[in-house]
Amino acid sequence: MSDALARRGFEPVMLKALGAAFMVFIIAYILIPVLVTLVMSFNDASMIRFPINAWSLKWYQDFFASPQWTDALKSSVIIATGTAILSTVSGILAAWAFERFPIPFKNVLYLLIMLPLFMPGVVLGLGIAMTFGGVQIAGVSIYGSRALVMIAHSLWAMPLVFMLMEATFRTVDYRVVEASYDLGANPLRTFIEIVVPMVSTGVISSALFAFVISLNEFVMALFLTDRDTQTLPVLMWLSLRSAGTPRLAVASVILALTVFACLALILVWYVRQLRKVSRN
Amino acid sequence: MTERTALELENVRRCFGSVVAVDDVSLAVAPGEFVTLLGPSGSGKTSTLRLIGGFEELDAGAIRIKGERIDHLPPYRRDTATIFQSGALFPHKTVAENVAYGLRMRKVERPERDERIRQALDIVRLQGYEDRYPSQLSGGQKQRVALARSLAVRPAILLFDEPLSALDLSLRLQLRGEIKRLHDELKFSAIYVTHDQSEAMAMSSRVAVMNKGRIEQVDRPEKIFHDPANEFVFTFIGESCCLLVRCSGTDVTDRNGQAIALSLRDSLPEGDSRLYIRPSRLKLAAEAQGLPNGLTATIHFIEFLGDVHRYHLKAGALEVFADHAGAIGHDVGALIDVGWRSEDMRVFR
Amino acid sequence: MGGNLLMTAQRRKQRTALLLLLPALVIVLIFFGLPTIFMARMSFNLHPDQRLFVPGFTFEHYAALLSNPVFTGAIWTTVKLAVMASFATVVIGYAFALIVWLKPPRWRLLLIGVALCPLLISEIAIIFGWWMFFPKNGLLSYALHSLGLVNDKISLMYTEFAAFVGLIYVTLPYCFFILLSIFDGIDRRMIEASADLGAPPLTTLREVLLPLTWTGLLVAFSQSFIWTMGTYATPSALGPDTLWTVGYLIQEQMLGKHNWPLAAALSMVLVLGVAAVMVLTRSLMPKRASYHV
Repeated sequence: MSDALARRGFEPVMLKALGAAFMVFIIAYILIPVLVTLVMSFNDASMIRFPINAWSLKWYQDFFASPQWTDALKSSVIIATGTAILSTVSGILAAWAFERFPIPFKNVLYLLIMLPLFMPGVVLGLGIAMTFGGVQIAGVSIYGSRALVMIAHSLWAMPLVFMLMEATFRTVDYRVVEASYDLGANPLRTFIEIVVPMVSTGVISSALFAFVISLNEFVMALFLTDRDTQTLPVLMWLSLRSAGTPRLAVASVILALTVFACLALILVWYVRQLRKVSRN
Repeated sequence: MTERTALELENVRRCFGSVVAVDDVSLAVAPGEFVTLLGPSGSGKTSTLRLIGGFEELDAGAIRIKGERIDHLPPYRRDTATIFQSGALFPHKTVAENVAYGLRMRKVERPERDERIRQALDIVRLQGYEDRYPSQLSGGQKQRVALARSLAVRPAILLFDEPLSALDLSLRLQLRGEIKRLHDELKFSAIYVTHDQSEAMAMSSRVAVMNKGRIEQVDRPEKIFHDPANEFVFTFIGESCCLLVRCSGTDVTDRNGQAIALSLRDSLPEGDSRLYIRPSRLKLAAEAQGLPNGLTATIHFIEFLGDVHRYHLKAGALEVFADHAGAIGHDVGALIDVGWRSEDMRVFR
Repeated sequence: MGGNLLMTAQRRKQRTALLLLLPALVIVLIFFGLPTIFMARMSFNLHPDQRLFVPGFTFEHYAALLSNPVFTGAIWTTVKLAVMASFATVVIGYAFALIVWLKPPRWRLLLIGVALCPLLISEIAIIFGWWMFFPKNGLLSYALHSLGLVNDKISLMYTEFAAFVGLIYVTLPYCFFILLSIFDGIDRRMIEASADLGAPPLTTLREVLLPLTWTGLLVAFSQSFIWTMGTYATPSALGPDTLWTVGYLIQEQMLGKHNWPLAAALSMVLVLGVAAVMVLTRSLMPKRASYHV
């Protein structure tokens, strides 16, 4: 009896303490590499070494003064933007087809669209590199081109957009779509004027997802880019293999800042959208 | 060809798998007529409406608007306008933009478009709400915007899909009155789907009672109520009690063969029959004297329903309930006489 | 005639559907289907010295995968690493999701924000972050040293432990969000009911929560297993030189040794591995399934 009472009293307290300790551990775990990188990017020395004795913005200046690094950043942003557009458009159209139209072999097609998402980047990159390595269109080799990397990244981004948008479309009140047909708008018009605006939050989130995936990816890009089209993560990976300097920390910070800037933009848009609807 | 009908359904049929949702339905709506499809859920009334709107495809039959076949056209090429149960307003468009939508699709240009939006919002008494979003409107206001949006395009026929069923009672009554008033003023042609009898009775030029995908009877509300065509219509419209009786020779018994004190003016057919009477037409005790039909029964229990007391009576296996204004001084367990006129009773075999 | 009209309507709808699916199908079929077939064929080609490949038909690459200790070792290492890392990820992710689920809402947003971090940061940046934490001159060594916990500078860099820390870091957010969404589908009063009936917290976890989240655990595990199996950057950058995974070998054969057929054969092994895990996960799912949603 007393044994049971003691256990019942003891267990919750112990679990609470354990829970708090775990919380500290997990937050520390997640924040360590972030904070280390952030701190290191302001280091004045040219070696990665703790403690840091002098602070400066030297490596930021160095990053922006180097055409190799700024070109890589530019290339990354171009490829990520292309991937976002390509995968958002194709993913949304496919999701709409799945949600509203009769499709033969639906399960097979679903699996086919989702499958690349589960494939390792090294396999996707290798396959495309082997298959399209020697292919030329109008005398221009498509291997090494940014377009090929966009498509490769879309193999991951498009299924994600597709999945997200399928779930989003399922929340749409279909009577509203019928009301639009009923008032004389054809399917295309209805899709553009009614459906897409109604799921705009889903569209924007999917596009952001696609952008982030492409911006951060470097295994496929490693196989598919050449010196001129190299993305920032690829350049970082190659420099890490030779020697790590605080310049890499700066590159990490800038890569993350690009992501967070997009996130902030979308947050602003989202808040404005909310205001618009709940005004007054 | 003159316009004799706004809408015509001819042997319309629609199946979902092996279920026949709409079975050989024919119906004509004259210009300016307000026809209600009334029936229990699953009777095919909403499917019929969706066939007219073009949201479902026909399996057989024909649909004509102003004499022209439209059943092969997609919804956006049909001159119909539906008021949905949920309103189905475009959440990202303002009230004015919602109303403008159908006009834009019909390429109505600027000055006229604005005028028609103003008119439509005037009609539903929503002036000054042009810039609101649907999320800022009450349920009743949303339904009025939906109505304005459909009215603005001036369709050949308006289709109402249980537009009031999501609202609470007082609002429902108020909007019902408004729709009636609008119909009297504007004389639009309409088909109105509902499962609410009082709504159907109050608003309609004619009511079509539907059951299991078929139309059981189409007529003016008064005729439907007083002269139902068959057993289903009788039991579905208004309240009724059913006496299950058996007749052999001159003996009338309940289904178990027990004799009951039932006297009727006209003799029943041989075998089992079902007698239907409306509880409001049953007279009790002294009021039952001198009526051609009568039954002596025991009071089982009494319910107080506000305007009336409802007496639940038993005679053998028969169960009857009768409404009476005020108490009549008999207690539970007492024997009581019940009487009714012959025209208030229907017999079905 | 009416029948004809209906037929065309149906066909028109299917044509529209196909048109809508076209961009997605082009991407998947031409840039995933075709390369996969191409790779499958490539894995049987010959590889004489100094050439990428010569068309032919041989099983020698697959035979090498099964007999050469370098390759069998790599396959074994890959599976072992994936199992251990996924297991650790699921345990940590489960505890994390459970705590977030139990915390009041004002904590929730903050913790979800923290959990999003690894998801939004590039794997290369994560690798580099830990790359500055573990070595002799890294933060860990410095912190422990200045706290007086160790006398000498220490390095955990290029150990299996470092590789695990990096791998778990990358897969943790996926696990966390899968599990959190499962937890969110559970009525929290169920815990109170269980306590009310006399079950202490750990019993509630075992008797109520674990059975309810079994599907989520399975999905989370296979998700991180598939990811870990295919990765090579994190283990090769943080782990010891001997930590060769299949992914690393593919990259080495392709970019370093230019042996295309062998790289393709190794890729096919990965593809089959992923497929096997997916089929296995599916078969382990409770049939009548999902208690949640």
